[in-house]
Amino acid sequence: MNQSEILKDYPAPSNLISDRWMTGITMGFLLAVLIFFMLYPVYDICKLSFFKDGVFTLKNYVAYFTNPRMFRSLTNSLYVSVVTMVITTILAFFFAYGLTRTTIRGKGIFYTISTFPLIAPSIIQGLALILLFGRNGLITRYLLQTDWNIYGATGIIVAECLYCFPNALFILYTSLSAVDTRLDEAAQSLGASALKTFYKVTLPGAKYGIASAAALVFNLTITDFGVPVVIGGNYSVLATEIYQQVIGMQRFDLGATISVILLIPSVGAFLLNYYLTKKSYSLISGQARPFLQPSRPFKKWAFTLYCWIPCLFILIVFFTVFLGSFVKTWPYDFSLTFKHYDFPSLGGYAPLWTTFWTSVLEGEWQSLIAYKYAPIWNSLWVSIIVAIVGAFLTLLAGYIVEKKRPKGEQILYTLSVLPAAIPGTVMGLGYILAFNKPYFLIYGTFWIIIINIIICNFTLGTLSSIANLKQIDKSIEEAGVSLGANPITVFTRVVFPLTKTAFFSNIAFYFMRAMTTISAVIFLISAKVKLGAIEIIFLDIDGRTASANAVCTIIIVIVVLMLVVMRLITGKTGLKGMSAS
Amino acid sequence: MGRNLRLENLTKKFAGLTAVDHVNLEIEEGEFICFLGPSGCGKTTVLRMITGFETVTEGKVIFDGKVINDLIPQKREFGIVFQSYALFPNMTVQENIAFGLKVRKVPQKTLAERVDQMLDLVGLRDWKNLFPAQLSGGQQQRVALVRALAPNPQVLLLDEPLSALDAKIRVRLRAEVKRLQQELKKTMIYVTHDQEEALSIADKVVVMEKGQFRQVGKPIDIYQCPNSSFVADFVGTSNFFKGYRTDDRVNTGKWEFRISQKGASLREEVFLAIRPEKIEVFKYGDIPNGLDPLNLITGQIDVITFLGAAVRLVINIGGEEVISDVIEKEFVQRQLKQGDKVFLYFPPEAFLIYPSKEGS
Repeated sequence: MNQSEILKDYPAPSNLISDRWMTGITMGFLLAVLIFFMLYPVYDICKLSFFKDGVFTLKNYVAYFTNPRMFRSLTNSLYVSVVTMVITTILAFFFAYGLTRTTIRGKGIFYTISTFPLIAPSIIQGLALILLFGRNGLITRYLLQTDWNIYGATGIIVAECLYCFPNALFILYTSLSAVDTRLDEAAQSLGASALKTFYKVTLPGAKYGIASAAALVFNLTITDFGVPVVIGGNYSVLATEIYQQVIGMQRFDLGATISVILLIPSVGAFLLNYYLTKKSYSLISGQARPFLQPSRPFKKWAFTLYCWIPCLFILIVFFTVFLGSFVKTWPYDFSLTFKHYDFPSLGGYAPLWTTFWTSVLEGEWQSLIAYKYAPIWNSLWVSIIVAIVGAFLTLLAGYIVEKKRPKGEQILYTLSVLPAAIPGTVMGLGYILAFNKPYFLIYGTFWIIIINIIICNFTLGTLSSIANLKQIDKSIEEAGVSLGANPITVFTRVVFPLTKTAFFSNIAFYFMRAMTTISAVIFLISAKVKLGAIEIIFLDIDGRTASANAVCTIIIVIVVLMLVVMRLITGKTGLKGMSAS
Repeated sequence: MGRNLRLENLTKKFAGLTAVDHVNLEIEEGEFICFLGPSGCGKTTVLRMITGFETVTEGKVIFDGKVINDLIPQKREFGIVFQSYALFPNMTVQENIAFGLKVRKVPQKTLAERVDQMLDLVGLRDWKNLFPAQLSGGQQQRVALVRALAPNPQVLLLDEPLSALDAKIRVRLRAEVKRLQQELKKTMIYVTHDQEEALSIADKVVVMEKGQFRQVGKPIDIYQCPNSSFVADFVGTSNFFKGYRTDDRVNTGKWEFRISQKGASLREEVFLAIRPEKIEVFKYGDIPNGLDPLNLITGQIDVITFLGAAVRLVINIGGEEVISDVIEKEFVQRQLKQGDKVFLYFPPEAFLIYPSKEGS
């Protein structure tokens, strides 16, 4: 009966792996992945821009700065980024103010609509604007019959404002809802006017949030490729100029030089955003938020009206693109048709998918499903792999950084958050330079694309994992260890179940990014390896705008379906906190 | 000789800061020992070095004759109970208790019996299918206690296990821990900053300050004979006077007290400490005969606080405050009120004398 005696026969497992070893191995693996797939390509770019035949030279930079046509891409980029930054930050600030500091109705609807741009490729803003204000735009050509069109700086700025809006909003929303509203009340009770309270209390309280949102918008705009490529026309910016030099002219050296030039403002904005976010969190008070005083009717009306403006714009963008994919000849013949969904592109090939459908279908349907829809299918399964592997790796990285804190943890952390600072086009070019060698067997396959998307989006995954893991008491793990469990058991049986929500939201985030990303992977696709989001650009360049709309619509539908599935699994919506910051 | 745990010159430094400073201790098998000290004194660090979660900078942790400094925590087979309970929120009470048995691959039948036995130990058998979040704090800590005991650890370490609970439950659970320890005769090492808890629960108390062991002894000895002014101050409450000793008298400047211990005839700076319950309070006219008039001092009652069985008086004597505890019965008998002029009597044998060098 003496169980204590019986239990002597069952000592703790003897094949225990030491925690330090396990941590060391995992960290080594993550560091190797990040160094090889992130630092090495960037290093190759720098090398190519500064060295010619092994000799250091500034020739490329001289060439860039003395060629007015090329140099213009820098001033253009800075111009559109600064203007977008100012407009978006102001728009999003008052939107966030309306959602957090007034008692307007329909906050949930406003918030949801404002997140729509995240589920579509950035290019959707450009497509919609072209349909409305382009050379054959519904408004410009059909309604106003003017020759003015939106191509160029104006188009880029408007489209980027819409694209960056939710990203800025997330930061401002957090920072405004975190600042103690009782300060406002205290100020007003002391006799300050509403306007004075706003200037002296509300605004200073949110200053870091505002600056951090501005830095993020600047970074997103200057690094974006999708919008300027469709709506920029002859207006070249850094990101499109890189592509132009590399793919158009085969001038890899100039492409690398422009990449380095683009890295400077983008890394700068990233560091600023990072620094300010930390500052902004230090202002957050842990106090419960008191009841919000009902706003006066005028304030309510004004803010409701105001909030509808960006929401309407966003809705119009989505509606226009949906509609544009179904009408016969925009903007002249609005009879509905499905013919644009029969993509006129050359078609592609997708492993498994094509083989399967060619064996099942025949004739027209075979060419449609098996070949023409292959890029979509590719996007889907690439996204699924990216989502699972990416969510897992970022969870591991977060776990090591937040919970294990081994020596060199700071290096892992820095490398994990750095990818957000590197523009997609730069990363894409870096991958060509670094891996387009016969012995890198993954080059030219889907695997390089999968790795690229995982690395490019490592930042947010890691940060959200860390935020989630912070909530798990350190003692819980120690309890597991002290009971005799080895590190892997502790991770799988204790830590992982507790981080499930964050894990699933990372899956959703990675899936969305993989379905919609353009800038980096456009360098990595080939005739054999095609993706849906990239097809949008090629269709658009071919003048098949309606089919570009159709692909865009399909991608949105897939992402929305995935979000619905995620919601069914976790019981939560997946969109919150998924900005690219 | 049983499987003793020995600390030899155990030291921990964090980035130049010495958290634990060359401490030595022998803990016998079956002993209930308690580390007591203010927060930041290093008591938890000592515990974590024993568990293996903290590396040892210098010195040795020896268990059963073997140095275990580099043994990973899993292999030490020490059970731990955490202040935050640290139950696995995704597992039921039963699964929590079974966790340590499962990783040891204990057969299902033995495992189920052991889990039930553990549940009975703390009277939670009816709760076994609930999740931790559905239990009260006290119940959760009971589960944590038997979860740690389930794999029959060699030593049980408890890190401020009751600090997160409210006062009543804390006292009840304290008794339960004590009962369990006496029943199971398991070596237990208990860390707390609550001196009442330490004195009531442990066989032996280790008072820590600034990374060092100030005094090790039975609770009663620690309370009655604190070996330093720090212990006298930290364990229980003491009134302190600074003064100069000549023979059996101490001159504090304002008063001269007679003390029972004879010191050197040289003038020497000392601290006098006296427990509040040793000071007697009388009204004019009630003073019994035969008291040493030297140790009788006048004062005025400033504050009266009821502690339950006793009443705490804060008495102003010539600008200094003295705390005196009188039992409730005497308080009523003597009709003491705030503002009353009273006589305080400091019995010579109640004074504890410390050299002033150690600081206050």
